[in-house]
Amino acid sequence: MKLNERSVAHYATCDSPPDKTGFLFKKGERNTAYHRRWFVLKGNMLFYFEERDSREPIGVIILEGCTVELCESAEEFAFAVKFDCARARVYKMAADSQAAMESWVKALSRASFDYMRLVVKELERQLEEIQEATGGGPQGRPRASKRMSKSRSSSSSSSLSTSSSSSGQKNHQDEVQLLSAGPKENGVAWSKPRPGLANGSSDGVSSKAPPVPPRRRGASLESPFSPGTGCFSKLHDWYGLEVEELRAQWLQSQ
Amino acid sequence: MRFNEKEMVHLSRQPSEMVAELGMRGPKKGDVVKRRLVKLVVNFLFYFKTDEEEPVGALLLEQCRVEKEDNLTFSVAFLEDAERKYLFECDSEEQCEKWIDSIIKASYEFMRRNLIFYRTEIHRLTGKDPLEQYGISDEARFQVTNGLQHSSRDASSM
Repeated sequence: MKLNERSVAHYATCDSPPDKTGFLFKKGERNTAYHRRWFVLKGNMLFYFEERDSREPIGVIILEGCTVELCESAEEFAFAVKFDCARARVYKMAADSQAAMESWVKALSRASFDYMRLVVKELERQLEEIQEATGGGPQGRPRASKRMSKSRSSSSSSSLSTSSSSSGQKNHQDEVQLLSAGPKENGVAWSKPRPGLANGSSDGVSSKAPPVPPRRRGASLESPFSPGTGCFSKLHDWYGLEVEELRAQWLQSQ
Repeated sequence: MRFNEKEMVHLSRQPSEMVAELGMRGPKKGDVVKRRLVKLVVNFLFYFKTDEEEPVGALLLEQCRVEKEDNLTFSVAFLEDAERKYLFECDSEEQCEKWIDSIIKASYEFMRRNLIFYRTEIHRLTGKDPLEQYGISDEARFQVTNGLQHSSRDASSM
C-alpha cells in the first residue's frame, strides 16, 4: 500500500509542536533486541528516529484502533501497543523509569483521532448547552438578574472564584464514561447546567453567541478563528476587547 | 520509512461517511485520471481500485492544503511541495464542496484548534476549565501553546 511518505515525514519534523518526545527502547521486529530510539508523538502518529537529531524518521506507528498496556517483560518499565486486527504486530517498548513509562502510556492511549474527536464533540456540546442556557434564559428569572449577568464587574468575578468545581467527583470514571459512551449523552455530572451559572456569574455575556470557528476553504492551515489567535495571550487580548465593549455597554445602560 | 501497513489496511475498512467513486489523478506530470473508490477515515484519505479490498494507497491529511480547482474538481497538496497536487473529480458541485469541507475538518491539527477554542470559550463563560473534570487538563495535546500551562485562574477572562 502506498503512503505519501514524504509528507508524513515532513509532518514529523515540521515545527508544529509535538505532543510528546523522548527516548524509548523499542523491540525490533526480526532482531528481537531492544534498540534505543528517539520518539516523537504528534497527533495520532508515533514517529521514531535513529537519533534525536536525525532528519528523517525510520518509521511511524499510526495509533488508531490500538490499546496500550503494561507488559510482562524481562525489560524494566516495558509497555506494549497492541492493535485489534488479525495477525497484528505488537510493538513493545521500554522506558527509562516508572514515571516515564506511565507518562508515555497515558499519552499514547489518548493519541487517537477518535479520542480527540470525542473530546471535541463533548466540549462542543457543553458550549452549546451553556449558550442555550444563557440565550433562552432560565424560567421565571427576573429581568434584573439577567442584566446583572451581563456585567463583568468585580462582584461577579468573586462569585466565580468561589463557585465550587466538580473536580472532586470521580474524574477517572467520568473520563472512562466519556470514552465509552460515544457522542450520545453520557450522564456525567457536568452535562447538567448548574443553577449557579445563570445567577450573575458568567452567562449572558452578550446577546450574540461567541463566534463559531469559521470553516475556511483552501487555507486549511490557518487558524480556524481569528488570525493571530494561535497564541494564548493574543487570544485573551482578543476576548478582552469583547469584554471591554460589553462592560462599556452595560455601564451606559445603567 | 516503515509504517504499520497491516493496521492501516484494517483502518481503511472502518466505516466512513465519506466514501465515493471519484476520478483521481496523481501529482506527477504523466499521471492520468483513474476511477478510484476514495474513502475518508480519520485523517487519512484511502483510495481503492473499485472492487478491491486493499487500498492502493493512503494520503495523510496533515499539513495539507485543499482547494477547489473548478466546479467539479478539488485538489489536495502538501505543504512541503505545494505544486504537487492530487486532483479529484466529482460528479457534482455539491459533492465537490462536501469533500472539500470534510477533508479540511479531517486533520488532527484542525480538531486540536477547535478543542482549544471550545476550552477557552467555556472557561471564559464559566470560569472553569472543562477538561479538569476528566483529569486531562495537563495533557500537552490540549494546551493553547506548546508547553505552556492553561491557567484556570486567569483573571483576565473576567
